[in-house]
Formats: sequence, structure tokens, C-alpha cells
Amino acid sequence: MPGKHDCGVDAAAYVLGALEPDEAEAFSRHLTTCVVCRDEVAAFQHTANALAMTPPQHAAPRGLKRRVMRAVRESDAADQAQGASARRPRRVGSGLFVPRPAVAALGAFAVVVVIGAIIVGSNGSSGTRTIAAAVTGTPGTAQLSVSGGHGQLVLRNFPQPAAGHIYEMWELRSGAKAPAPTGTLFSVNSSGAGNVGVPGGLHGVSKVLVTQEPVGGSLTPTSTPVIVASLD
Amino acid sequence: MQLVRAGDARAFEIVFDRHSGAAFSLAYRMCGRQAMAEDVVQEAFVSMWRSGARYDATRGSVRTWVLSVVRNRTIDAFRRESAKGSRDVSEEGIAERMPAPELTDAEVERRDEARQVRKALVELPPDQRQVIELAYFGGFTHSQIADMLELPSGTVKGRMRLGLTKMRLALGDSPEVMV
Repeated sequence: MPGKHDCGVDAAAYVLGALEPDEAEAFSRHLTTCVVCRDEVAAFQHTANALAMTPPQHAAPRGLKRRVMRAVRESDAADQAQGASARRPRRVGSGLFVPRPAVAALGAFAVVVVIGAIIVGSNGSSGTRTIAAAVTGTPGTAQLSVSGGHGQLVLRNFPQPAAGHIYEMWELRSGAKAPAPTGTLFSVNSSGAGNVGVPGGLHGVSKVLVTQEPVGGSLTPTSTPVIVASLD
Repeated sequence: MQLVRAGDARAFEIVFDRHSGAAFSLAYRMCGRQAMAEDVVQEAFVSMWRSGARYDATRGSVRTWVLSVVRNRTIDAFRRESAKGSRDVSEEGIAERMPAPELTDAEVERRDEARQVRKALVELPPDQRQVIELAYFGGFTHSQIADMLELPSGTVKGRMRLGLTKMRLALGDSPEVMV
């Protein structure tokens, strides 16, 4: 049953990344309300992190650094050639704003029950409108502020992402079946607030979505969106 | 890391120099193939360069962050290549083939600490160590491990919990400093 857990059973498997995706998602939600499991995850997480150092330690092979730095330069050059914006990290507002490049085609995306967002405010003089986004499976509120074809997602009273996870922003373009990554990964501050820009313009975008993803982000959503802001 | 966030390639080189050995060692332990491990490490570092601000100091050390990205990328690579059958290599085999690095004092200290973690892992009862290694280094879920070992999933998860609890007690309260 979603949200029901036998506390203490899943925490170790969770920090080892050994839960099935739907179980991990359910457990992440459970963590927002269960201090016992949160504490256990925090305690196990340190041990799980330490496992990374248990293999025999060796120097990286000669030539690997050269390969990596060449790839870094090529990556930057490709970004410049594409005229991409927001390819480099930057920090905006009170949230921990972490853009990453939008890459790769997307696969199938689980159907999401979208509660229609509603326009809750409009400033006629500035052309700014505020859209209340649907928030699912987590406390907090989210609004999308739209001005001049650009969007700013404003979060309040949101929980930190689960251990080992981060929030990732997606956009669903009109007519598209699957959302595309915006290249934005972020967290919220200790007060649960975040202020995160939507990279690029909103032209042709019908929905802005946020999911929790493993640290490092995902190329396709792996969990049900916690935020859906509909521009239709 | 602030310089890396600002796009300073020289600062990024320093991050690479400090953590590439641990990153490669983890990837190699998981992949069992040097070429694949190098590809994974390259992919991980390029992704870190392109998203340096993702690092959050309140959540752990740079090394912890680097290794978590490497592990995630390795598991992604497993899924792409379905290479689960050829990943296990003995520690002795790796040691024979890999060059020994020049050790700095800091690296010597890290290795001493890593040795403690390894000892805590090795001293676990074999059934607990096995499920932890299959999950962490193999990227297998508890259901997959249960199928492999012909055990109930609950038993697998229980062994993971017991094993991690014993390791945590053996290591004290702050193993985080090691990575």
C-alpha cells in the first residue's frame, strides 16, 4: 500500500540503491513523514558512502586525465556552438539552483495524473502571471511566475530531497508525449524555499514538471512528478 | 568547488587530480574492465564539470559526491550494456595489472581509513557481506539478489540491514570523514 512501510526494513536497501524504482519512490515519500526512517537512512548513508572506498585503491591510468580534459573542452565548445544558455552552473535566488545540460532523447514517460493548475494572479501592468502548480505526494506549495515568456518556479515549505536525491525540472512541449529535461537540478534551502528559473523561454511549453531523481540527475524521469505547472 | 562552479578548468583539474584515483578504483571494482571503467570515469567527470554547482557541501565531502556520481554512472553503464556477467574480478588480479600510484600523505591517510572500512566489510558474516556487495558494487536490486540467491526478498533486505548496522558500529559514528 503506498505510503505504508514496515519501518526499519527498507532503509538499508534504500541507501544501497537496492529498492525497486517504485519502492524507492514510495520510501522517499515515506521519509518525508517518518523521523525514525529518516534517522536510520542518515545513519546508514555514511556507511554506504564509505563503501565506495573499500575497493583496492589505484591511480587513474595515464592518459585518462588528458581524455577527460579534452572531453571537457569539447563539451564547452559544443555548448558555445549551440548558443545554449544556462549551460554553466549558476545560483539563483534562495534555492540551490543547479542547471545541467539537456541531453539525449527521452524514452517513455509514466502517465501522470495532473491536477490542472490555475491562474491565481495577474499583474496587468507588468504582464506577469502567477500559476499555482499542482503539488503531489509532498508538503509545500509551488507557483510558476511567468513574465516576458520566461518562467520562475517559486517553492515554499518544500522538504529537502530524499537522501541521495535531488529535484530535477522537466518541460513538456505542446504535442510532445514525454517531457524533456531542462538541465536544471536543484534543492531548497533549510526553510524549504526555492526560487528556480526555467532555462530558456516558455514558448511552446505546455507544462513544467519537477521530479525527485538520484543525485546526478536522470535523462528520463524515474519518479512521479511532485510539481506540475500547466501553462495551457 | 566555487571556482569549478564558475567554470575554472584549472580548478577542475585539481579536483580530478585529487579524486580520480578513488573514482577509477570504484569504477574498476564495479566494471571489472579497465576500458569500461575509464569510459565511466570520463563520463562522470564531464558531467560534474557541466554541473559543478550540484555539489552541496552540507551533504558531504567532494569525494563523496564524486564517488556517488561515478557509482550512478557505472550503474547506468551496466544497464546500457547488460554487462553483469563479466564484472567480478579479484582484488589480486586488479593489483597485478594496475600501476601503483605515488602516495601523498593525504592519500596514505585515506588508504588507512579505507582499510578500516574494508576490514569492517570483510569481517561481516559472508551472507551479509554478499548481499551488500551485490547491491552496492553490482547495482542489483533486492529482488534480483533474491532471485540469484534463491532467498526471500525480506531475507535479503534483512541481511543488508544487519550488515550495515554491524559496519556502522564497527566504524563508529563518523565514517563520513573517510571519503
